[in-house]
Amino acid sequence: MRSASRWVALAVGVALVLAFPLVSPNAYILSAAVVILHYAVLSTSWNVVGGFTGYISLGHAAYFGLGAYGTALLITRAGVPSFLALGLAGLVVAVLAVPIGIAALRVRGASFVIVSIALVLILLLVFQSWREVTGGSDGLVVPRPFPELLRPQHHLVFFYLFAALLALVLLAWWTIDRSRFGMGLKAIREDEDKAQALGVPTFAYKLAAFVLSATFTALGGGMYALWFGDLDPVFQFSILIGSYMVLMALLGGVRHLFGPVLGALVVGVALEFFKQQYGDTQFHLVATGLLLGVVVLFMPDGVIPAVRGLLARRGPQQSSIREVSAAELQKERVP
Amino acid sequence: MTGTLLFQSLVLGVLLGGLYALLAAGLTLYFGVMRVVMIAHSAFLVLAAYLAWDFNQRTGLDPLVSLVVTVPLFFLAGVGMQRLLIARLRPATVTMMSVLLTFAVALTIEGLLGFVYSGTQRRIQLPYSGASIDFFGARIAVVKLIAFGLAALALLGLFLVLTRTRFGQALRATIQHPQAAQLLGIDTNRIAGFGFGLGLATAAIGGTALALDSTIFPSLHWHWIGPLMAIIVVGGLGSVPGAAIAAMLLGIMQSLLQLPMGTTWAQTVFYLALFATLMIRPQGFFGGRLAQRF
Repeated sequence: MRSASRWVALAVGVALVLAFPLVSPNAYILSAAVVILHYAVLSTSWNVVGGFTGYISLGHAAYFGLGAYGTALLITRAGVPSFLALGLAGLVVAVLAVPIGIAALRVRGASFVIVSIALVLILLLVFQSWREVTGGSDGLVVPRPFPELLRPQHHLVFFYLFAALLALVLLAWWTIDRSRFGMGLKAIREDEDKAQALGVPTFAYKLAAFVLSATFTALGGGMYALWFGDLDPVFQFSILIGSYMVLMALLGGVRHLFGPVLGALVVGVALEFFKQQYGDTQFHLVATGLLLGVVVLFMPDGVIPAVRGLLARRGPQQSSIREVSAAELQKERVP
Repeated sequence: MTGTLLFQSLVLGVLLGGLYALLAAGLTLYFGVMRVVMIAHSAFLVLAAYLAWDFNQRTGLDPLVSLVVTVPLFFLAGVGMQRLLIARLRPATVTMMSVLLTFAVALTIEGLLGFVYSGTQRRIQLPYSGASIDFFGARIAVVKLIAFGLAALALLGLFLVLTRTRFGQALRATIQHPQAAQLLGIDTNRIAGFGFGLGLATAAIGGTALALDSTIFPSLHWHWIGPLMAIIVVGGLGSVPGAAIAAMLLGIMQSLLQLPMGTTWAQTVFYLALFATLMIRPQGFFGGRLAQRF
């Protein structure tokens, strides 16, 4: 019964996403939707390492930027076709993430966060200074993959491309969640020393999750480069992008498949609204900061468990001894 | 000729290292008492710099006078922050969550600074801004000397408070072993609040020193937090002397590397040192036992 309603909800959700471009009134709304989908891809990718292992990286913008610049440079300097460049850039970032992960994952907690922030700052520095290759602060123009398309159609195509990428990342998260690998990662989150004592190869597992997460983030970044067409180190290697990923995932709930997507929807809409309403002022920084503070202080498990808790309080109280019929028990045993 | 240039860089490096050492000492205090990595430290630094600038703009007095207001204010803000924000987090996840919380505070401060003072770059003009003195052939700007003197005095004061007073003993006891300190009758919660306050007070002093000789803008704090974080990891999280040594060494290295590499690339020395430390000695080079688990 429960699984059936889940499938229906999933089908409705997919249908809503797929039908959105048909009902969106203008190109601006559609482009905002693409932005929100790209946030959803990024924060779900972040959640592969942040949600399972509890290692909170504030510097995932590093892989976003590397993916974007990798794709752009492969197209402009090496003449690789657009989508092949995207895949290659993902591969390059995966290779780069191995030594970075080995350095960063040697330390726990606070030091890990410090390293993740440091990585973004150092890459920002390098990409701004290395003008001959990256164009520095003048930016880097990425040729469009479909030059014949008009702007609304361009948004439309990328809406579906981002949706497909999101589906891929969600599928990966779902598969890990149900696997032995995922169980090991969650054990690391709950108590790393005990997990190690029980024989979980903690370092290898952490590294694998880290590399996977970085690769997905890079693919999101590369796709963004192809869509947006103009890169600037200040925006690609921005601490802010990394903090959006964390905020979205935490707000939605890091232990839920659709948590980051929900967070991306809420925060993404709010950000677009603030940018429209307050323009170039720094108000979106204040809003982001306050929202992050509220989430961390009052609902560190995200909005999904918080709402569920509220509903449970309203509904019939759960007794400590559950009353189950024999038939229900039978069903529970055989999934 | 190059000898003088080298000597001048060395002196400038020492002066810069003094400021780094003061700020890193503040970060170490937060980490010591609460196991908190305070990302907002440099945001408060820039906030103090803006307050000094504003004070100078409004009253025309020397920005150093603003310390009379900002230091107590920041101390109270630190106590309040520990009581109202950090103490509310669950003990199990406090290290991770406090990073996010202080990060949120940093974003809010940066946004508010941009809101109130706009993103324009600001600089304090003083009668002695352009003055410099001759120090064995090296030309050293007077404002840099004042900034260093301020940092050195504050560090000395901090050292005396930590080693010579009962409060300092209680603070160090809290850092070394909170439970044992509690058994001895130390109110560790109160001490932790005061430790936080002291840390923020270092940001107030550092900020005023910063305002004297550099241009300030709201997002400046990102340029400071990276090097400072690198310093406390290299020094070993939680060790004040370690942080001071690492600050001096890295400050001097940055200043010397500016000669062949230019200012931007010289900054990378902090990050290289950070990654090298993690590869070779994750607990830091001068660190105590605190560092190992964090």
